[in-house]
Amino acid sequence: MTDATEASAVLARARQGDGEAFRALVERHSRSVFRLAYRMTGNEQDAEDVVQESFLRAYRQLGRFESRANFGTWLYRIVANCSVDLMRAKQARHDQARGESLDTANEMPAAQTPGPERLAESAEIERRVRQALGALSPLERAAFTLRHYEGRSIDEIGKTLGLGTSAAKHSVFRAVKKLRIALQPLRSE
Amino acid sequence: MTHYAEDDLILYYYGEGRKRVEIERHLDECGACAATYRDIAGTLAIVTEPELPERSDQYGLEVWQRIRHKLPEQELPWWMLWFRGERLMLVGAAAVLVLAAFVAGRYLPRQGTATVATIPAGPATTAPSVVTDGATAQRQRILLTSVADHLDRSERMLTDIMNTSDHRDISTEQRWAEDLLTTSRLYRQDAADIGEQSVASVLDDLERSLLEIVHSRPQISAADLEQIRRRIDAAALLFKVRVLSDELRQRENAPAPSATPRTSTRKIG
Repeated sequence: MTDATEASAVLARARQGDGEAFRALVERHSRSVFRLAYRMTGNEQDAEDVVQESFLRAYRQLGRFESRANFGTWLYRIVANCSVDLMRAKQARHDQARGESLDTANEMPAAQTPGPERLAESAEIERRVRQALGALSPLERAAFTLRHYEGRSIDEIGKTLGLGTSAAKHSVFRAVKKLRIALQPLRSE
Repeated sequence: MTHYAEDDLILYYYGEGRKRVEIERHLDECGACAATYRDIAGTLAIVTEPELPERSDQYGLEVWQRIRHKLPEQELPWWMLWFRGERLMLVGAAAVLVLAAFVAGRYLPRQGTATVATIPAGPATTAPSVVTDGATAQRQRILLTSVADHLDRSERMLTDIMNTSDHRDISTEQRWAEDLLTTSRLYRQDAADIGEQSVASVLDDLERSLLEIVHSRPQISAADLEQIRRRIDAAALLFKVRVLSDELRQRENAPAPSATPRTSTRKIG
């Protein structure tokens, strides 16, 4: 039996509610799911939550999965959307706690400019980048991650996140503009 | 010299956009745009891939151990939903109504014929017209009452869709819409059969929106939900459904048609 035939047989069994078959799918895709979830959320614990929720959501919706489609692509969309949902929920809690939105570039706090010796340290740059990415809205962050790290085209980003092409494009634009403002101190040093 | 917008330069950086050749040429000539592009490229170069935490080969197994006891019930594919108990009951109820309308149509002509017998003899061709009119009127009353109920239920579902919060699970509304779709088709065909074209037309509009809702993803995005709402608005569907439902209720409460021969049936709005 070829890999493709075997994969589709496992998938067919999983769609009929076979737990062992679904286990095989989980084992096969977990690491790639974690990679995407970590890139999207930038946080290990959040990524773990996304991994878990994505597989539970995938299992629930397996009956609706078109067998002609690619399971990996379908799962990829679920992971991307689970990440957005988690980031939104987290942001809502955060906003509620702070009583203010972090959604506009103008409101982003200007990063304090550290001394040149600290800027030279890549760990500090990474920290600042992480902070800037954390200040993006969930949708901006998701669209930016898919474009910048995952190399997805604007059309693919739209399909993955259930957006129109224009909305996907503008999410990327807004993300890059906010990053430019937030990371300006690093560039001017 | 026309400058390129930041958005065009961002697309150019990522190798997208339709103006790549023009932008490339422009960047060689325009210092301002070249500086903006350098700034964009410089910023994005800093945003490097974060270091991914290691996950062992056993990671898949660990994930499975975490989720195995939490696996939810699988949602059924759309075609299997047709065989669920409550759906069969609904289809059965609709079939009974249609059958009742049919039986009434078959039964009532005899009453009409009896009445005609007391009418002074007229041209022989008027008798079939009387028979058909009596039967149709009765079928209409039964059907239109059912359609009015159906429109009320549809209105509630559409109102739910119009008022639901963005980015939520609409699977409940989808199941509801599927139920309504089944009955709507039957009523539309029956309405068309008895010449109620305006009723059939509103039901046809309704079916389009129901179909769109049924075929959406349960975890609908804000953009898709907005699109559905725009189409409902554009077709003035909620308005039509309310108006038609009111009109049918009025007709329902109107006095029953007499056995006096009529030459035409009343048309809706």
